Amino acid sequence: MKASLRWLSRHIDLSGLTPETIANDLTLSTAEVEGIERFAPATSDVVVGHVVSRERHPDAEKLSLCRVDVGAGSGPGEALQIVCGAPNVAAGQKVAVAKIGTKLPGDLTIKRSKIRGVESFGMICSARELGVGDDHDGIWVLPENAPLGASVASALALEDFVIEIDNKSLTHRPDLWGHRGLARELAAIYERRLRPLDLAPPATGSGAAYPVAIESPACTRYVALVIDGVRAGRSPEWLRHLLLAVGQRPIDLFVDLSNFVMLDLGQPNHVFDRHRLDALGAGRGIVVRAARASAAETIRTLDGVERKTTPADLLICAGDAPVALAGIMGGDDSKVAPESEALLLEVASFRATTIRRTSSRLGLRTDSSARFEKALDPHLPLAAAGHFARLLQSIAPGVRFPAKPTDVGVWQDPTTTIELRAERVRSALGKPLPASEIRGILERLEFGVEATSVETAGETFRVRVPSFRATKDITMEQDLVEEIGRIHRYGNIAEAPLTFTIAPPARDERRRLVRHLQDRLAGGGRFRENLSYSFIADALLEKLGASDEPHVRVINPVHQGESRIRRTVAPSLLPALEANRRHHTDVRLFEIGKAYEPEASDARGEPRERHYLALAWAGSRPNPKTARWDGSRLQKLQAVVEDLVASFGLARGTWTKDGNPPRWAHPGKSLFLALPGAPHAAAVVAELEPGLAPKLGLAGDLDSEVAVAELCLDALLSAERRGSAYRPLPRYPGIKVDVAVSVPEATRAGELVALVESAGKGQVVDVELFDLYRGKSIGEGRKSLAFHVLLQSDARTLTDQDEQKFLQRFEKLVTEAGGELRKA
Amino acid sequence: MTAEDTLQQARERIGACADPGALKELEREYLGKKGAVAAMLAEIPKLAPQARKADGQRANDLKQALQALFDERGAALATTKLDALLRADDFDPTLPPPRALRGGLHPITQVTRELEDLFTSMGYEVLDGPEVELDHYNFEALNISKDHPARDSQDTFYCDDAGRLVLRTHTSPVQVRAMEKRKPPFRVIAPGRVFRQETTDASHDHTFYQMEGLVVGKDISVAHLIGAMKTLLRGMFGRDLEVRLRPGHFPFVEPGFELDARCPFCEAGCSVCKRTTWIELLPCGLVHPNVLRAGGIDPEVFSGFAFGLGLSRLVMLRHGIDDVRHLLSGDLRFLEQF
Ligand SMILES: [Zn+2]
Repeated sequence: MKASLRWLSRHIDLSGLTPETIANDLTLSTAEVEGIERFAPATSDVVVGHVVSRERHPDAEKLSLCRVDVGAGSGPGEALQIVCGAPNVAAGQKVAVAKIGTKLPGDLTIKRSKIRGVESFGMICSARELGVGDDHDGIWVLPENAPLGASVASALALEDFVIEIDNKSLTHRPDLWGHRGLARELAAIYERRLRPLDLAPPATGSGAAYPVAIESPACTRYVALVIDGVRAGRSPEWLRHLLLAVGQRPIDLFVDLSNFVMLDLGQPNHVFDRHRLDALGAGRGIVVRAARASAAETIRTLDGVERKTTPADLLICAGDAPVALAGIMGGDDSKVAPESEALLLEVASFRATTIRRTSSRLGLRTDSSARFEKALDPHLPLAAAGHFARLLQSIAPGVRFPAKPTDVGVWQDPTTTIELRAERVRSALGKPLPASEIRGILERLEFGVEATSVETAGETFRVRVPSFRATKDITMEQDLVEEIGRIHRYGNIAEAPLTFTIAPPARDERRRLVRHLQDRLAGGGRFRENLSYSFIADALLEKLGASDEPHVRVINPVHQGESRIRRTVAPSLLPALEANRRHHTDVRLFEIGKAYEPEASDARGEPRERHYLALAWAGSRPNPKTARWDGSRLQKLQAVVEDLVASFGLARGTWTKDGNPPRWAHPGKSLFLALPGAPHAAAVVAELEPGLAPKLGLAGDLDSEVAVAELCLDALLSAERRGSAYRPLPRYPGIKVDVAVSVPEATRAGELVALVESAGKGQVVDVELFDLYRGKSIGEGRKSLAFHVLLQSDARTLTDQDEQKFLQRFEKLVTEAGGELRKA
Repeated sequence: MTAEDTLQQARERIGACADPGALKELEREYLGKKGAVAAMLAEIPKLAPQARKADGQRANDLKQALQALFDERGAALATTKLDALLRADDFDPTLPPPRALRGGLHPITQVTRELEDLFTSMGYEVLDGPEVELDHYNFEALNISKDHPARDSQDTFYCDDAGRLVLRTHTSPVQVRAMEKRKPPFRVIAPGRVFRQETTDASHDHTFYQMEGLVVGKDISVAHLIGAMKTLLRGMFGRDLEVRLRPGHFPFVEPGFELDARCPFCEAGCSVCKRTTWIELLPCGLVHPNVLRAGGIDPEVFSGFAFGLGLSRLVMLRHGIDDVRHLLSGDLRFLEQF
């Protein structure tokens, strides 16, 4: 919304206030001002000149050679010689002259120049060049009485500033969509009076009122005024300039006046050609109704577009013929013809939601629809009609109003009364405002205020909300608190500390776990935390072969093929591997996030929410000749996960192969961590499914060894904690024994660990695998595993004999299991 | 060999010895159990008694002289070795150390933690809320009815045709969820991810982060809100920043404000503050009575304030990030900078 200060000055005396002050005060008390601009700044730099003589340019038929007097002591003899190309320049005219050195819009500086051999000492300007119109017919001819040598801006009273107010900060204020409303705010802010404005309809003849029938509740009031005896012509300059200042292109008197009334009072209105209405509607008058479902009605709007309607749309019809899309745009068929002297002014009230829906469905937003969407004061139509008529009368005294305005419709006065407690205002604002100030502010905003009773000693008021504020904005006591606060200025309220009885918040295990995982991974694990979108691309799901999995979906995605919300987090990390592997040999990412399972929705329809930690670790493949037996990325990631779980204080879990591998996992190389107390596997660690790697771009130079893990935070939180009791240090030294066994390839390491423990008869306190070897010395189809074993007893110091007994038992067990104890 | 000859010979050999190991060997040869001096002493009992004393004296003198020679040479060799170590000619101070692989937290996490720590230190509770949210909490309970124009401008991702389920457009739904489970007074914050159905560009993404704050109690006022926001800014920028509250309209607060802070990056206007010297930082206000009621709290007895802070925007401001889409790009070259 643009507001002109000159326009505002029609309603309030703004003397002594700079544009910056006004902008700042509006921002702090009313709505955000986004900028201040000078209107047509070039008009301040050009001066009024008098064309003393005009001759044809000796060498160019279309150019004129003018002598222009620009005052400032220069007599006729000293007038400037200016070459001018405009066809309408003539001797005796007053014109706008840009002298040498003047800067015009578009980075044009006037210089002394030679045009076809003749020197020129300035330029005679068009209105368009000065930003005050778009006339194409040549130079701007100024009024004869314009004072010679004065700046055009001052001579024509064009000096103006335009402030631009953020429309979003006006959505709840229908009253601020016109200059009158803004002036009312300024009056309250500066404690000045609004100038009176007579909005009563002018005297009319006693003819029959124009027939109007309202057939839809979406139109609550319709005022129609018959106007005769005046044709559309050029509007007076003051009107054109005010419209230009706020960015509205002047068209002709009726369009301009219609716009002026809308921008002045905030009430849209429309002028029809009455002869055309009568012809289209066979003289049956105006009918306001919903568009018909069966007829598939169309209307050609003023912009020339044929528009299809639906029964949700409201139409203004002449008889049965649609002539306007109510509240949005007039029809092409009923627009005012240049020669017409028979007009009908429409000023109406429409239901805000109806206008908003039609406007947004058609993608047709106009100055009119923007205002109707805000729920306008139903008092406005008659006032706006009166305003229009009186302005027209002052411009075209010959105008006739043969009949009283038609005024039909069923509407309610929105004016309400709210009880206001001064104490409430004070406690909400946190400032002890006196009741008199509370009352004063409300009265300045045109609220009616009266004390409810003597008993309340002027502390409780009945506040009457004026209709222009009551349509949607002000409905309760808190709304009045805002009025008082903003005019008093929030900046005048001192800060106050909160006082509470502080109890430490309950321990938040989930947050503690999240922080633990983040810190552990970013620190020792050397992983980078990533955050990715919750949307998961159809293309990725297809690569994973997971398109069949149920997902929460949005029905209006921003990107095609990205409508699904992830149900686990690990897949989100996969697309990042390729791009990062291009510049990193070692890529370690983790992400903690939410995921949703729609098939497990609760009674209210909320999908089950789970929290996951996903880890992805990719790097170049190790050289099989030099790689250590324990160097696979899968094992390293498994170690990372074990560390995360153990360091959070959870009881030791067991790794198994019994589980349902996720789609990204190599089914033969997946490990599941079962934790005591957790209802399901708390973690899965796996190698990337080998068929998936090339689909993710991890092939050729980017061929990678990838391990991925996913931990369910919900499972971790339900898992048992490790006991926190201290374990006494061993009283007797232990014996370290190294054993190496050769076994068939099929024997699992875990089986051997079990044998070690069994052979130890309770004396084994630690078993650590330290070598895994395959080779000629072991034999085809066999492998050798070597363990450090620690034997220890609480009762005594173990001896060589104990070691020997252990080795004998172990050898027996190994042999039974098809293995062989290797002697050192 | 006379004692003098032995000493002379030993002196030469010791002087020529440059290796501590060889010196030890040599010392054993002269002074060991089977060494030259021991052999000499072994001869003494066989001598005539009158010669014994003088020979014994001579052997002892020799032993002491030799010991002194060995000690002196040993010390000299140790010094030479230490000198060589200290010289360190082969040390190249410009040789690059092995690259340290570093992990790290996402900048959103970093700023979230700072704020969580700040607020928990003031007795606020940190809450979490669902990202796939019921329409009821995202809109209805926040005083945004089905017909409210804010619904159009909220650019909502809808999860079903009936519009029962949405991706939350703000962290504000946590307000009502918090009220349902608590009795005033309480104070909570709720950081998290939110969604807007809008075309993405350098300054807009459809997914970003916010932090909601809510305080409910008796007589909570605008003055308290101003105080809390100043404290927040102090924590965020480490110094006092001038703030201003101006009217702002949001359906779930009344009165509602936009809080601007003096641009921390300039004194006379810069590109961050668009030359205004003010940065629009957060919307806030007193909780609307309808929202309190939706949360089961009597607005006649209690009042509260709420605010919403844009965490993504804060991260961008702090690090001068010019494209919001970097935040969720998964690009290590970006993540490694924090
Ligand atoms: Zn700045």
